[in-house]
Amino acid sequence: MPNKNKILIVDDELDVLDYLSAVFEDDGYEIITATGGKEAFELARTHRPDLITMDITMPDQTGAKTFLDLKNDPALKQIPVIVITATVNSEQSFRDLLDGIPGPEGFIKKPVNTGELINLARKIVAA
Amino acid sequence: MSSMDPVKEWLNKHLFSEVPISIAVIDRDFHIVKANDAFEKTFGEWRNRKCYDVYKDRDTRCERCNAEVAFEDGIARINEEVGYNTKGVFTRYIKHTSPVRGENGDIPYLIEMSLDITELEKMRKEYQLLFDLVPCSILVINRDFQIVRFNKRAGDLLGDISGKYCFEMLKGKEHRCVQCTARHTFSDGKIHTGHHTWTSSDHKEIHSLVTTVPLPSEDHQVDLVMEMAVDVSETLKLEEELKIAYTFMEAMIATSMDGIIALDKEGTVTIFNRAARKIFNSPRHNIITKSDLENLLPPGFIQQASMGPAHLYIPEIEITTLDGEKKFVRLIGVRIGTADHYLGMAVTIQDLQVIKKLEHEKLEAERLAAVGQTVAGLAHGVKNLITALEGALYMLNTGITKGRIDRVTKGMDMLDRNINRVSMFVKTFLDFSKGREIRAKLNNPIDIANEVVELYKQKAKESGITLTHEHPDDLKPAPIDYERMHECLTNLVGNAIDACRVSEGGGTHVKIRTFEKDDAIVYEVIDDGVGMDYEVKRKVFTSFFTTKGLGGTGLGLLMTKKNVQEHGGTIHLESEPGKGTTFRITLPRNQLPQLMDNNDAQQK
Repeated sequence: MPNKNKILIVDDELDVLDYLSAVFEDDGYEIITATGGKEAFELARTHRPDLITMDITMPDQTGAKTFLDLKNDPALKQIPVIVITATVNSEQSFRDLLDGIPGPEGFIKKPVNTGELINLARKIVAA
Repeated sequence: MSSMDPVKEWLNKHLFSEVPISIAVIDRDFHIVKANDAFEKTFGEWRNRKCYDVYKDRDTRCERCNAEVAFEDGIARINEEVGYNTKGVFTRYIKHTSPVRGENGDIPYLIEMSLDITELEKMRKEYQLLFDLVPCSILVINRDFQIVRFNKRAGDLLGDISGKYCFEMLKGKEHRCVQCTARHTFSDGKIHTGHHTWTSSDHKEIHSLVTTVPLPSEDHQVDLVMEMAVDVSETLKLEEELKIAYTFMEAMIATSMDGIIALDKEGTVTIFNRAARKIFNSPRHNIITKSDLENLLPPGFIQQASMGPAHLYIPEIEITTLDGEKKFVRLIGVRIGTADHYLGMAVTIQDLQVIKKLEHEKLEAERLAAVGQTVAGLAHGVKNLITALEGALYMLNTGITKGRIDRVTKGMDMLDRNINRVSMFVKTFLDFSKGREIRAKLNNPIDIANEVVELYKQKAKESGITLTHEHPDDLKPAPIDYERMHECLTNLVGNAIDACRVSEGGGTHVKIRTFEKDDAIVYEVIDDGVGMDYEVKRKVFTSFFTTKGLGGTGLGLLMTKKNVQEHGGTIHLESEPGKGTTFRITLPRNQLPQLMDNNDAQQK
């Protein structure tokens, strides 16, 4: 049953981007992708996705910076975000950077358990 | 009565002329009609002259003439006057004016008796000046400990303390001090000294060395005591600072890693610290003399160093310890004293074996830290790889079950690419973790860069980039591991070409500059490519950071940095987004590794 939700997937690794796109496509999402933080922010403004997943380590600007940009924008701040990362201890250091702003709605570690990711995404979008 | 006669006769005949006071008699016309010898001696010729002419060298009568008044009222008076003596010198004198009454009560004459106080007054002034300006505070106190007099210096320091109690003004106390120096003087009439802490009018603590001197009155009782106080605060402070400096110096000498030896001007060994004992294997209580030192140190070293004026520096020399062991040390000898005043000399000794061991340990610790960092980073890299491989499997699985050939193709691609990436990773990581010793041979720094340029010439040309090498005609060869430095430059030039290729404006030039500056070999790799922003610059030297997606391992610059550091050098970068990047490797010649042959000879 297609859910017609729009998702913005952000990752600088094209293989990972393709992988996650396929996973969400199979769960009925309309897919938008970005390979960097700045591009992601622009796409979020134009497409107003229902959910964003993003990597922390990106060449142009950090995931934390992108996250803060999104959450500081009144029009975009209600879009839920799932952070996906391979870095050890990244969740705590990511939260430390947020400076009081509520953290992301979800946090998933690489390698990705697709079942877990899809369930988390469904729960967040339904909320 | 008859015995009195000679006295009476003398008084009548001689007193007037011999009394040491100037006496003159003037009449109502102010003419001096009689004067004695003392007067003539002081004021000169008086006969047929008027008083104002004689006393004051005036032509007319004085404006406020005391004589005139005395002629009127007939009252004797005493005035302090000023005038000129025979030599025309300004003179102070006290004049006693006595009217002489005639038979009918009139006053025909005045007797003027003048005492010259010029000298006295001068002395009084000098005494006051001395009292005020002597470099100590002076107070005079009475038996009730009240201050009856004080000099200017004391006033400046303590404010107006006249009539106040000394303990109150000097120490802020309500009662007499227990240790009172003045009291000792009051009781035994002798001079005493003591150390007192006073508080100045601006609430500063003053350390005073106080001397109390009795001022006996006519009946030999000590009614007053003079306190003379010298401010020793500065001296005490200096003493304290000197003590601290000395303690500090002693601690430094005792704990120094370098051997420190000092000789005084007689040649006695005054310092021979623990490190020096260790270097020369000298037992703890063994006393070292100058002649011992002359045997331990190179011949003539002490003599030459004590002549000065510059330091005598021997970077590396073999010495023999007391028990016959040979050691390589670094020696610095220095003359102590001013240009013409010799105070002694000092020698510092560094045990080169210890220093080299420490340097080696430091490098090893740095290498291990880098390996640790790399392993942590490896976990990150591996997780990304696994994610990509899982992605490939997902594509293949869903492609097959859903019959979507596009996903199967993509999955195969992903599998292929990431398996390649795994092998690339493993290779680089193995290189990195090997930690092979640097093998430095004498190489010309220009040759290394030239070869890198040759290697990339073709690739650069294909991308429309000019690759040039700017260098002086020749540079002195240096101990460099050719392969490693080649690897560094290859990496930097490869990066620079990539930076030009991905640049939107299209970078067109990569330049290597090889030169020598401040006794260091410098390589610069300059491109006009894409450049980096702050975030990227911050992370380029960390493990697994790459902007090249699947193309890079994220280990290249980390390896480069490690190689440069193992050559005792540093690497820095300057970069601006859209303008380009410059990487600069600086290799100070005095920190380059030892030549391999030396290493082999010593260690194997």
